Amino acid sequence: MLVAAGTVLVLAALLPLLSLVTELSATGRAALAVLRGPRPWELFLRSTGLSALVTAGALVVGVPLGVLIARSDLPGRRMLWLLHLFPLFLPPFVLALGWFHLFGRTGLLGTEATARTLFGGAGVFWVLWLAFTPVCTSLVSLSLLGLDASLEEAARLVGTPARVASRILAPAASPAIALSAIVVFALTISELAVPMFLRVDVFPAAVFARLGGIDYAPGEAFALALPLVPLSLLLLFFERRFVGPRSFAVAGLRGMSRDPLPLGPWRPVATLAAWSLGLVSLAPLLVLLVRATRGGGLQELPRWVGRAPWTSLLSGAVAATVIATLGLVLGHAAARRSRGATALDALSMLAFVTPAPILGVGLIAVWNRSWTQAVYASLTILVVGYVARYTVVGVRAVSSVVLQSPLHFEESAAVAGARFSRRLARVVLPLNLRGVIGGWLLAFVFCLRDLETAVLFYPAGREPLTVRLFTLEANGPPSVVAALAVAQVTLTGAVLALGVLALRRSAR
Amino acid sequence: MTAAIALEHVSLSFGAGPVLDDLSLEVEPGELLALLGPSGSGKTSVLRLVLGFLAPATGAVRLNGETVTLDGRIIRPPEERGVGMVFQDLALWPHLTVAGNLEFGLASRGLPRSDRSGRIRDMLSRVGLEARARRYPGELSGGERQRVAIARALVLEPRAVLLDEPLSNLDAPLRRELMVLLFQLLKERRVPGLYVTHDIREGASLGDRIAVLESGRIVQEGSLDRLRTAPATAFVRGVMEDLP
Repeated sequence: MLVAAGTVLVLAALLPLLSLVTELSATGRAALAVLRGPRPWELFLRSTGLSALVTAGALVVGVPLGVLIARSDLPGRRMLWLLHLFPLFLPPFVLALGWFHLFGRTGLLGTEATARTLFGGAGVFWVLWLAFTPVCTSLVSLSLLGLDASLEEAARLVGTPARVASRILAPAASPAIALSAIVVFALTISELAVPMFLRVDVFPAAVFARLGGIDYAPGEAFALALPLVPLSLLLLFFERRFVGPRSFAVAGLRGMSRDPLPLGPWRPVATLAAWSLGLVSLAPLLVLLVRATRGGGLQELPRWVGRAPWTSLLSGAVAATVIATLGLVLGHAAARRSRGATALDALSMLAFVTPAPILGVGLIAVWNRSWTQAVYASLTILVVGYVARYTVVGVRAVSSVVLQSPLHFEESAAVAGARFSRRLARVVLPLNLRGVIGGWLLAFVFCLRDLETAVLFYPAGREPLTVRLFTLEANGPPSVVAALAVAQVTLTGAVLALGVLALRRSAR
Repeated sequence: MTAAIALEHVSLSFGAGPVLDDLSLEVEPGELLALLGPSGSGKTSVLRLVLGFLAPATGAVRLNGETVTLDGRIIRPPEERGVGMVFQDLALWPHLTVAGNLEFGLASRGLPRSDRSGRIRDMLSRVGLEARARRYPGELSGGERQRVAIARALVLEPRAVLLDEPLSNLDAPLRRELMVLLFQLLKERRVPGLYVTHDIREGASLGDRIAVLESGRIVQEGSLDRLRTAPATAFVRGVMEDLP
């Protein structure tokens, strides 16, 4: 079973990465010449610099906010977490669009000065920082909620709440902090739509332009993807070194039953700061709703939206189901340290931290052939792409819950005569159902929000909603584009609500 | 006579030090051997070797004469060994009812549904839990859970049963009651057993014979009298002095 799951992952994720090598030998030196000029390297430095800045900003705010949400007496912290987290599940492009309708020249609060600030590096940083800070907040919170209560209680006997937070909680969450830094960096460097929309040239845009834009030159796109390869290997190295199997407790939702750490005199200030951030995150979504309603975009929506929502839902649901199945097998194997599982876990992480243009270009190289058109020209290619990029979500969600589940349950099933498949289906799956559902839901939402991977290879006429939104933005009526963004938000909210209901039912 | 369980010159190490060092041990058919030893002596590792969850670097494990593990190679996986086990933490599957916990192994071994329900009913009635068949482990008392774990191990009619300090978390009266039940069940079915404990009283009450494990080696084995009259090590002397 592990071999079968591993084969699927290798086909989906490793083959595209390896194919870059063969493609480069085919395209030859002419394509590589694109790297001799200074421009690609300027863009490369800009992209890595921007990613580093966004990562630093997300850590500075996300880590303390994560501690506050998980372990302090901040009022309404559960609701605050939801508000703050929700934008993470949306394509950042939707948020950029919202900020444009607020601070763009024609926006609700827009002036020349606000528009100039928004359309530039500061605007890109602002949008991506707000979009990705919840990664840090949530991973730190989940990690602290999964922490053994006795460790914290022992510290509280001898230390002040601030000392407990800084000397016990933060170090205990250090693998989650490291992972969040890697994830934010990887998401930022893959981001294509926000910089393009806000008129900032970045490296992924240069790759994208050579695959579908006016600079069409696929050989050069392969060459341009090269500098990103060492970067993704570096990210994988950091993940192995500082995170490894101590990964995020996605489904380790143990609740907030312990006594929270009192904030004391800092409570009003912390409350104001945290809630301000939560509400600011939602501002662009409210503005989009206003813009869509006022301009009649919502009424026009059915004419413009086409099959895009169904494409998103269908491809996302199928991919999430494949990811959850792979996650069950690979995540269980990783948690139980089965032979080969570490390598497969590393491969799934590599595919996630690899900047989307590399993976996208690799998928095109593998599947855009005359005899694979059944895959490449259909929704299957979206499923393959999502599985390649997001399998790690399912793997880590399952492995984090399996790690918390006693090995004796499985051993007693083996002693009772159950073979591996039966143990997996009758013991591991039911006992870790929340992790599997949590992994499925997260994977589904990640597929729904994906733009940067899908935009490179979506089949003609079958674009997902994110791509539809991105392509219509350039020449569609603004209110309709805002309505499409509202549709994306609604779709994501509905999927999340149903998923949370399913998680609650599975907890009974 | 062929031993029901035999470990022959078994050596096992984790990281730096050896866990088991050239250990040999036999449990005869129908015999209940108490394996006594301090914490960290390697008792649980012995059980995991017999079950097939661990393979020794060298040595062999045989069940009724059949070699199931040899020199680091697991020849028969755990699910094919036909050995029952009562875990220290019981490891009752929380998502299955009492009957479901017993039924799981029977179904895994391909028993027809009609045979399964009969065997489950008989076993539950023998341990006094017939009325609890549809309850979940979380709805039972500590003693009832213990009975389910014992019933789950025995309903499979195993060729041997391993018990890893299954009574260690119970109060004294309940422990005594369950020791009697366990002893009766094993003897009436003539199932050989290996009972791991660090409590000499439990070992002496249940075991036909006692083997003492220290630092990965069997330092003494025999009857309680023999251990009492000629203790081989300071540890054995110490535990004997604890006995009334």
